[in-house]
Amino acid sequence: MNAAQPTALMSGRYQRAFTIAVVFLVAGWHLAGAGGQLLHNRTAYGSFAFQAAMWLIMALAVIAGSVLVLHDVPGWRPAWAVAVIALAASTAAAAASPDARMLAVNWAWGSAGWIGVLVLFRRRFTELAWFLAAEAAAILAVQVGDGLHRTDLAGFLALLAWSTGAQVAVAAGVRALRLAAGQAAAAAQSEHAARERAATAEIVQAARHARWLALQESAVPLVAELAEGTADPGDAQVRIRCAVQAARLRRLLAEGDEVSGSLVHELHASADVAERRGVAVEIETAGPLPPVPGPARRVITDAAIAILTAARSRVRITLAAVAAGIAVSFVADTGAAVLLPAIGDGVSIEHQQDGAMLWAEARWNSP
Amino acid sequence: MEQPVTAAIVEDHPVVTEGVASWIRSDPGQRVRLVQTARDLAGLRSAPGPPAEVVILDLELSGELVTRQIPGLVSAGYRVVAFSGHTDPAIVMETLDSGAHAYVSKEEGRDHLVEAVLAAAADRPYVTRSQAKAMLADQRPARPALSQQEQQALLLWFQGMSKASVGRRMSISENTVRQYINRARAKYAATGRTAPSKDALLARAIEDGVIKAGEIMSYKSFARTAADPPLGAPGH
Repeated sequence: MNAAQPTALMSGRYQRAFTIAVVFLVAGWHLAGAGGQLLHNRTAYGSFAFQAAMWLIMALAVIAGSVLVLHDVPGWRPAWAVAVIALAASTAAAAASPDARMLAVNWAWGSAGWIGVLVLFRRRFTELAWFLAAEAAAILAVQVGDGLHRTDLAGFLALLAWSTGAQVAVAAGVRALRLAAGQAAAAAQSEHAARERAATAEIVQAARHARWLALQESAVPLVAELAEGTADPGDAQVRIRCAVQAARLRRLLAEGDEVSGSLVHELHASADVAERRGVAVEIETAGPLPPVPGPARRVITDAAIAILTAARSRVRITLAAVAAGIAVSFVADTGAAVLLPAIGDGVSIEHQQDGAMLWAEARWNSP
Repeated sequence: MEQPVTAAIVEDHPVVTEGVASWIRSDPGQRVRLVQTARDLAGLRSAPGPPAEVVILDLELSGELVTRQIPGLVSAGYRVVAFSGHTDPAIVMETLDSGAHAYVSKEEGRDHLVEAVLAAAADRPYVTRSQAKAMLADQRPARPALSQQEQQALLLWFQGMSKASVGRRMSISENTVRQYINRARAKYAATGRTAPSKDALLARAIEDGVIKAGEIMSYKSFARTAADPPLGAPGH
């Protein structure tokens, strides 16, 4: 997961809250503001039924617009379809109003503007500006058709300033809040990422410390004894101790390497116990290795554990890519023959005893 | 008794130089005589006395890989045995391709370094397990084609078996095991860059019957140019 996704998620949560607020504002206005005005002036219209029908159409437009924005439907077509329906209904309602009192009894202008805000506030600001201008122009055209007096023009301008001003202010405010929410979410995200990095660093540090402590217990006293001369490198026991520590140091270094698949790691883990017993374990790989499925890995590591347990002082484990799979071999001074576990899951095991030395090879062939 | 082989060590860690010197001293036959020690290549060149036959070269001197200096040493007449803490197949291959006779990892030193020096002095191949690993891991398109027997002998040797055990496993003599492994090495000497040391290895391999001239030609064909010296001309 990249860092942008949670940021988007968080700012998305804030943005949804703003969207819901706009939906309530618009629906509330249409129901209480426009609806109240319509009922209050119900006797003033030529046909109240026609005005009520227009109001219903615009109510449906509010519902459709709310569904659009709450479901985050993309594209300009559905948004503008709702806006144009509201514009048409509002213009029709204005045109059907009595000529002399059109502006006084107009309930629809405000609602149409709010519906425009609802469906267009997530889009470019100029789209909303164009819509509000078209709405104002339509109302003005109706008024001019009815006969434009100076008082009408003043009323028109007052209404324009009031409703359009409020709508532009709300749209601009929501945009600013959305922007702030995006920034806040990004800041929260980067803080979260920093905390995560710090936690990871702590884990890595702890693992390093644990390995360092392990070395303190084992390798450091040995080196100290060698330096003081209390441990004699000629002593076979000391040499074995050195070999074990060398193997552990090598494994410590190998932990930073890229290893393909978990087989190598599982073999390392299996070797750990034998190393504690004082057996020097060497693990070598030749070439890029194919991934081995889990059940086959279990058969191979079972064989490894049997041999590691039986080994007296040293085991060499090698992994090599062969024609159709992988060959994992063990050379160990087991003394006597080792009882190897059952084969299966595509793994076959061969072995050969030469005196005290056992050679065994587990081969897995990809099916 | 034969004259001991003369060797030089180029190694920037005195404690390692001391260790190598002690391995050479503890050889029961005293077959190698250490005549020079140097901390870098300039030190080797300025050392007084006749040059050693074999240079035991630590590949990392003062933190820098010196594989690129190997061709210079080889054309100066040295046989190079690389001695390195690295076991990365790419470095092993680069070293052999540059004309080193053998590659001995520091872990293999005690058991193999003196033998590798002796083999190098005679222009004979000596394949350590780390070298076998690099040959098995080789994925380059221009790698030589090894026979199934050569491949199997290399794999068992890499796995850690003694050559006698490899022979038992493959139902062949220990000598044949050695021959398969050395032939694989000779095929590598026949590929890649040209170097007098590689020609010398090949010439000796033909002389010893490890490989036939005809087997080499097919590998030489894409690597050699007309300007190269003819096959079989020893570099020393």
